[in-house]
Formats: sequence, C-alpha cells, structure tokens
Amino acid sequence: MTNPEHEPVKIEGVYKKFGNVEALRGLSLTIRRGEIFGVLGPNGAGKSTLIRSIVGLIKPDQGRVVVLGEAMPNKPILSRLGYMTQASALYDDLTVRQNVAFFAGLMGCKEDAKIQTALELVELAHRADSPIRILSGGMRQRVSLASVMAHQPEIILLDEPTVGVDPQLRAQFWAHFRRLTEQGITIIVSSHVMDEAERCDRLGFIRGGQLLAEGSADALRQQAGKSNLEDAFLWFAQQKGAVQ
Amino acid sequence: MNLSRIIILARRVAQQLVADKRTLALIIVVPVILLTVAGVLIRVEPSGLTIAVVNQDEGLALGGQSVNLGDRLTENLQNFDLFDTKLMTTDDAKRQIENGDLDAVITLPPDFSAEVAQSRQLNLNVQFEGSNPTVAERLRNAFEQVGDQALAGLATLQAGNESDGNPSTAAIETNLQATYLNGGPEFDTLDYTASALIGVFVFLFVFILTSISFLRERLAGTLERLQATPIQPLEIIIGYMLGFLIFGLLQGVVTLLYTVFVLNIHYHGNLLNVFVIESLLVVVSVNLGIFLSTFARNEFQVLQFIPLVVVTQVFLGGVLWPIEEMPGWLQPIAYMMPLTHANTALRAIMMTGESLGGVWVQIVALVAIGVAVIGLSARTAGRVRM
Repeated sequence: MTNPEHEPVKIEGVYKKFGNVEALRGLSLTIRRGEIFGVLGPNGAGKSTLIRSIVGLIKPDQGRVVVLGEAMPNKPILSRLGYMTQASALYDDLTVRQNVAFFAGLMGCKEDAKIQTALELVELAHRADSPIRILSGGMRQRVSLASVMAHQPEIILLDEPTVGVDPQLRAQFWAHFRRLTEQGITIIVSSHVMDEAERCDRLGFIRGGQLLAEGSADALRQQAGKSNLEDAFLWFAQQKGAVQ
Repeated sequence: MNLSRIIILARRVAQQLVADKRTLALIIVVPVILLTVAGVLIRVEPSGLTIAVVNQDEGLALGGQSVNLGDRLTENLQNFDLFDTKLMTTDDAKRQIENGDLDAVITLPPDFSAEVAQSRQLNLNVQFEGSNPTVAERLRNAFEQVGDQALAGLATLQAGNESDGNPSTAAIETNLQATYLNGGPEFDTLDYTASALIGVFVFLFVFILTSISFLRERLAGTLERLQATPIQPLEIIIGYMLGFLIFGLLQGVVTLLYTVFVLNIHYHGNLLNVFVIESLLVVVSVNLGIFLSTFARNEFQVLQFIPLVVVTQVFLGGVLWPIEEMPGWLQPIAYMMPLTHANTALRAIMMTGESLGGVWVQIVALVAIGVAVIGLSARTAGRVRM
C-alpha cells in the first residue's frame, strides 16, 4: 500500500489534543515524491501541529504518521529530513558557516563542499564568516534554509518560511524550492498567504484540525466554482460546516 | 549514543563562548577581582588600636627563682604589632576607655602569677571597648596568643623543676603545643576561604552559562531544531558538559595560580586532584542549570535561580561558616549540596595535600548527586515547552 518511493509522507487519521484544544481531528493526507505541497489555512488551523507531527516532535494521540516508510517519531529517519521552524532558529554568536555546519553535522554531514553548496544556493557564500547577530531578518531566513538543506535531505518541511520576508526575497525562496524539487526533493510548506499557494504543485486546505480539500490550485478553484483561491477556501470551509 | 554528535554539540558550545569574548574575559576577571577583594578584607589588619595594661602583679618565687608572669605578659603585648600597649593605673585606664581612647584594658591583679600557678589556668581580665565587634574579636585572638606565649615561657623556666611535683604546668605546655600543631599561626582564614571559593566560582560560572544558554535554546527555537535531528537528550547533556568543562578547568587553573602566586595562600595539593573535583562540580552544575532552566520562561526568571542555587550553597556549604556549627536540622540539608562536598575535598587537597583516596567520601557524594541531576536534566532536556 504505502510506497515510500512515491509517497514519502503518509498521514493516517491523526488526532492530537493539547489540554482541551483539539489541534488535529482525524486528518489524513498523502504527499507525493518531488512535489511542493502547500498546507494552507488560517492561524490556529493546525498547520504547525501537522508539520511538527511529521517531524516526530509530536506523537499523535490516534492515527499514525509514516515518513519514508517508518512510523514517526523515529530519530534515525530525521537525518533524511530538513525542518525549518517559523522563526529562524539560529545561534546568534556563531557565524553563518558555523550554524550551517552545526546542523548539517548533527544530520551526519561533515563535508565542507556540501555546506559551501548550500551557502551558494542561498547566495550567502560571501557572508559565510559573519556572525548571525549582524545579519538582516531576510538573511537569517536564508541561513536557516541553508542549514536545513546542506545535508541533502529527501524531504524539507518549512513552517511559514516567508513570514516577514520581503517580496523580492520571497520570489528567490520559491525559486530555491523549485530547484530543490528538480533534484527529487519533496517540499512541504505551510502558509496562510493564499497568493503563495499558486506556486505549490498541490495544496491541502486545513481548518480546525481537519483537511477541507486537497488538489492543485486549479482543481480546487474549479471544484469550488470560484475564480480565486481565497473564495475557494471559504467555499470549502462552508461546505464542511454544512456537512457537520 | 553517538560520539560524533556529542563532539559536534560540545564544539558548538565552545565556539559560542569563544565568539562571546566579553563573557570569556569575565569568566577569568570576575573571580580574580573577587578573590583579591576577599584576600584584602580577610587579611586586613585593623590599625590605630591602643590597649592599656594595668599591671599590679607581685610575682611569685618558684624554686629559688622569681617569676613575674604579669611582666612577661606585658612585654609580649608590647612586642605585638597589632596594637600599641600602654602601661597605666586603674583610674587612668578607666577614664581613657570611657573617652574612647582605648580599645581594651587588661588588668593583672597582684596575685596574677600566684593564681596561674595554683589554678593552672591563665585567666585574663579584659575589658573591651566593644563598639566594633571585629576589633574586639581580633584583640581577643591576639590576647589568647600572647597568653599562650607567656605561659610557654613560664613552662620553659620550670623545665628543670620537675622534682617540684608540678606536672600540671607541663600539661598546660603540652596543650599549647597541640594548638600550634593544628595549623596555628601559619594558616590564615584566606587559606580556608580561597580553596573553597575556587570551587564556588567554577560552580557559579558553569551554572549561569548553562541555565542561560539552555533557556536561549528553548526561546530561540534551536532546541526544537535539535529535536528534529537524530541527537538524543543524553547526547545534548554530555555535549554541554564537555563544552563547559574546558572553560571551567581553564578558569580553575587561572584562579588557582592567582591565589597561590599572587595571594600567597598555602597550597600543597596536586593540580590533577583539584581538576577531578572541579570536573565533578561542572557535571553537577551543567545538569542543574539545564534542569532549572526548564522552569524559567525568560532570563529574569532564570537569574533568580542564581541566589537560590548558588548563594544558599555558599551559606550552607561551609564556605564561610563551618557545617558543624550549624543547627542540627540544617546539617542534612548542607550535606545534600554538592558545594559542601566539593569544598571539603578542595580544602583537604589544597591545604593538607590530601590524595583522591583521602577524599573518597566527598567524591562518592558528588558522583551520587551528579547521577541524580543527570537523571533530572535528561528528562527535561527533551522538552521544548513546559
């Protein structure tokens, strides 16, 4: 059934409750190899919880998450993933290169060439020896991206990577993502900005911890009979509400 | 357990500290400043002290020789550097001490020598001015010392008079000898305090650095990123310990050299033995820092743990006050504190050159405390949020 070659991430009926808050309510989703999958939804929809459960930071109360053929949480599998958190989580005192080398090293990658390649991809090779604290917010995000992909993971998860990033840099980021998928890397990206969704191969609309709909942007628009994604999202949300 | 990941983490901890030059400098400079202040305060001699002696002693004829203990005592007092000694009458002394011109008056009654010979006890009648307890304490110690000197002299005079049947005087002399053997004048309070302070500094510095760096890992989200890598909580803890150990020992060497060569404290120890105790302290300190940082949401809160963890240990750990003098209910608490055992061991190693075998009790206690706190920190190091 599950073929890790073609379906690197399978989420099967995942339910997770924090205290009284139901963050995920029986969510199922399959992500295909080499695609950019966008997890879309308003704040508090459960996007971060979903991404964190794929990385194994959250153990589902019910259901299971299978990544590259292994049920999560699974520590050894993590070296084949790259996870970029919402805020750029870096060590301020260390240089760009030290940060990237540290995270790559923990993933088992110690080759300077790979670290150099990652720095070049985010166009920061010339700032390799600058400490993080003197860099701008946008540069930090790029360092963050370099630090999750230097070890050449098979799946990269990005939790709202373009929050607070200017339009020019945002375009650069998406160009990076596209280049990575061309190497067969699967990218899962969460966002609450609908115009970013256009750049994804497929989308999952999430609200209240449930999947409202999934498919390409065109297919979702067509299914909802709306001309833009925002209206389509609202339409699906309404449908789901009516069913309940 | 993966050694490569542990080394990568330890290297990062070290890189961060090397990058933060100011903190690195403070680690060395702060203990040196504090040790210097402690050294000056502990060794400072009160100046301008004046005492009066009212010597009415009529002396005593012993075995054909005339002995006047009052005169001997007065002479010894006059040779003492701490204070000026003036001879005066009871009335003058009374008037001057009431005016505040004198810090103490020693009255030696007419039967002083006879009384000492009979009771085998040297009872000094001293009136202290007393408004400054520290001065009174210093004078009191000085007088005891002078009394001992005078008695020692008396005993020597009587050395040939054993047949006289005066074994008690000899017994007094033996007592005095014993007092000098136990450290006596060549050890001072700084020897006692500095050896313990070296342990306190390592503990303090590693505790502050670990609790704040670990809190930052949590706040900055890097801990969450670490948890999305294959590294295990125990590997994180060991990496932190190794990373800080280098700097803890570096600080240890500098403070030790400073206290031995600049402050001239008495040092008979083996540096390696000092390092063993300091390493155990680093282990306890790192893990306590990781564990307690879990209960802080910001830097202000984590800073409040410093007085709780460090100052209570300085108070209860026998740095300033001996544990034996504490109330009974406090003593078990004192023995639960790692600094108590580290202080005892460091003192024994540094002051009397004890080997590690000689302080095995303290080492076992430190290892036991270390294992307990590793257990605590390993449970919390994996948690991103509380």
